[in-house]
Amino acid sequence: MNWTAIKSIYFFEMARFFRTLAQSFISPVISTSLYFVVFGAAIGSRIQEVDGVSYGAFIVPGLIMLTIMTQGISNASFGIYFPKFIGTIYELLSAPVNFLEIVIGYVGAAATKSLFIGLVILATSFFFVDLTIAHPVAMMAFMVLTCTSFALFGFIIGIWAKSFEQLQLVPLLVVTPLIFLGGSFYSISMLPPFWQTVTLFNPVVYLVSGFRWAFFGLADVPIITSLAAIGGFTALCLFAIWWIFRTGWRIRS
Amino acid sequence: MTAILEINDLKKVYEGGFEALKGVTLSIERGEILALLGPNGAGKTTLISTICGISTSSSGSVFVDGHCIEKDFRVTRSKIGLVPQEINLEPFETVMNTVRFSRGLFGKPRNDAYLEKLLRQLSLWEKRGNRIMELSGGMKRRVLIAKALSHEPSVLFLDEPTAGVDVELRKDMWNIVAELKATGVTIILTTHYIEEAEAIADRIGVISKGELLLVEEKSALMKRLGQKQLQIELQEPVTALPEALQTENIALSGDGSTLTYTYDTQAKRTGITKLLADLAAAGLQLRDLQTEQSSLEDIFVGLVQEKST
Ligand SMILES: Nc1ncnc2c1ncn2[C@@H]1O[C@H](COP(=O)(O)OP(=O)(O)OP(=O)(O)O)[C@@H](O)[C@H]1O
Ligand SMILES: [Mg+2]
Repeated sequence: MNWTAIKSIYFFEMARFFRTLAQSFISPVISTSLYFVVFGAAIGSRIQEVDGVSYGAFIVPGLIMLTIMTQGISNASFGIYFPKFIGTIYELLSAPVNFLEIVIGYVGAAATKSLFIGLVILATSFFFVDLTIAHPVAMMAFMVLTCTSFALFGFIIGIWAKSFEQLQLVPLLVVTPLIFLGGSFYSISMLPPFWQTVTLFNPVVYLVSGFRWAFFGLADVPIITSLAAIGGFTALCLFAIWWIFRTGWRIRS
Repeated sequence: MTAILEINDLKKVYEGGFEALKGVTLSIERGEILALLGPNGAGKTTLISTICGISTSSSGSVFVDGHCIEKDFRVTRSKIGLVPQEINLEPFETVMNTVRFSRGLFGKPRNDAYLEKLLRQLSLWEKRGNRIMELSGGMKRRVLIAKALSHEPSVLFLDEPTAGVDVELRKDMWNIVAELKATGVTIILTTHYIEEAEAIADRIGVISKGELLLVEEKSALMKRLGQKQLQIELQEPVTALPEALQTENIALSGDGSTLTYTYDTQAKRTGITKLLADLAAAGLQLRDLQTEQSSLEDIFVGLVQEKST
């Protein structure tokens, strides 16, 4: 393993993040606060409790998930698309590094960034709602895994994309709907039976459910299923990336 | 001693089916400067990209210092520095950060003293804290060189280092190349400019349409340049050369009306007096005489045309 190279990529990417630190944090914090105001205060005053948890607190895991998934994807996809776009990718391709090292560097940095933002949102939540975390270790583990797997997914999108439009396309058309319909703001038990069944095909449901379990000890689906879902998704992304580098798809002519 | 770079029958077919390299074989000695001359689209960049790992080869093999570029890519790529043809740099990064990043990417431990020396040598030290977007075009090109040298490679590829660079900077670049050579770095550069190849190269290769047409010591090539041709038009065409004139440096044109005599201007005797005496002795009447000197340009253009017809 070329650890020096991994460290270089990681810190170079992180430096970009820290240069625009305020910007990186302000927008997610503001949008999360808006969610609390709209969902927590306005809708929450009517729903009040879900499975014994106040609605304001109930949406916290979903909100964090929503943010770290979208941030993970956009950070990682941009991180690798940018060198492709401005041509500096030549240096990565001609460096003595293998695919795993490139992935660890870029995906690691993207995941770290979204983890930071997730933690900031968690901290913000404490200003709005009373929150106790039932399984803090499991919560952190879920957060790290989600950040990582969605950063891997974003990395693939970044390699696939041939334009900035395409870079936005998948997150906009696929990921955002999946996240919104994935039970971030409601328990799927609140849906009619037919839609409950449909929802079970949405992978995000398993992540949100597992994450919520870590907070409140209650879940829509068994925790084991959640773990399997995120493990499977990570493995799928890793396999795709391995294939990309082996064939040079869209990066090596 | 093994060659530092050994290219065997290297072929490259791009995805669309275009054959950009049609079997290039080339061996480069440690510490030499090789200039690759060739028109647009000849395959110079493709050749370099394939050696450096940016594109994959379709067949053939490349060895750097005895190591295969595919099996031992870590070893070979650590030994190579590449200055690309296009100026590809992160606009918002500082000079120092990009150069430091390059060094780390190639697995070398941080060494700011070396980077300082490098940046000073390239007259970039004053600009180390500036963002790339604040630099002039020539400075950006030097940043690319600094990045390529940041991991102390033993082979340096310069893909058209002086394209779009003013005369003064071009001379600077030549000096940089000469200094690098003095430290033992092997340099392969591509260029469209014959004077450039003439000024700095030890050997010159000519590439066109994916084929290496010639690789020759510059001095040998220059010697060819020292040759002149004397063309003698005859009053009456002859079917064959008289016995006395049948030597290897005299050629008769197809229609028998012109004799071409090739001679070395640097030689003590050009042999012209004797030639004229022989012509008179053979009873040939002369209509006209003219001499011509071939330049590297002529050789180059001749080679390229020869191949394309
Ligand atoms: N990625 C690619 N896909 C398909 N064809 C390509 C690709 N890159 C280069 N080519 C083709 O390969 C040929 C050689 O290109 P190359 O860039 O190696 O030329 P070059 O000698 O460097 O030219 P120049 O002096 O203009 O830089 C050209 O015909 C070019 O169109
Ligand atoms: Mg080129």
